Amino acid sequence: MIKATLVMLSVLLFGGCSIKDVQPWEKETLAKDTMKNAAGNTLMTKFENHIYFSKEGSKGGGGVAGGGCGCN
Amino acid sequence: MRSIILTLLLSTLLFGYQQGDTISQNIQDKLSIKEDKIYIIDFFASWCASCEKEIPYISKVHQQVDSRQVEIIGVDVDKNIENAKAFQKELKERNALTFRVVNDPENNIIKAFKPIGMPALFYVKDKKVVDAVFGAVDNIDEVIMADLKRLQK
Repeated sequence: MIKATLVMLSVLLFGGCSIKDVQPWEKETLAKDTMKNAAGNTLMTKFENHIYFSKEGSKGGGGVAGGGCGCN
Repeated sequence: MRSIILTLLLSTLLFGYQQGDTISQNIQDKLSIKEDKIYIIDFFASWCASCEKEIPYISKVHQQVDSRQVEIIGVDVDKNIENAKAFQKELKERNALTFRVVNDPENNIIKAFKPIGMPALFYVKDKKVVDAVFGAVDNIDEVIMADLKRLQK
């Protein structure tokens, strides 16, 4: 009985830790301009990229392929 | 035999319709798929920039094909029906959307197909999924016409 209760409790507790994938048709919020790096502000993006590139010692690879709608 | 049926059922639930799968009666009713012709189902949304880019090209195909043999059905997966209507109205006003559209605010239709990306095009022949195209594709009208030529053989 105690074992069963523990299993049930752990299922309930850790079930919430599982991360569900965002499906392609659920990307409405992700596709918004505000979700872009520095919310689409070109100057801020350049500034943030400059910090990132300086820290990493490399340039490029900061973008995401596709248009935020799950495209290739 | 039972395990094979169970595996097939589970694979449909997990991955959506695969090539060769028959569309369920419920989805057929929702999409008004009645005849044994080729249906092209285009899943799109107002927030999907690539979908918006492709719709005029798909409308071009709609105007070129024989409606007795091929029918294009759009499925708008916008959860906000007002956004969906406004988006479709705007497209129709500039003659970019000519095929019929089924709204899917509850996402019940797209969850049955489970495309891996959007825009998503599914080809349905004799009520079976025969092919699919995912993601933004350049000159999608030419791609569809080539696919139709192959499927109509």
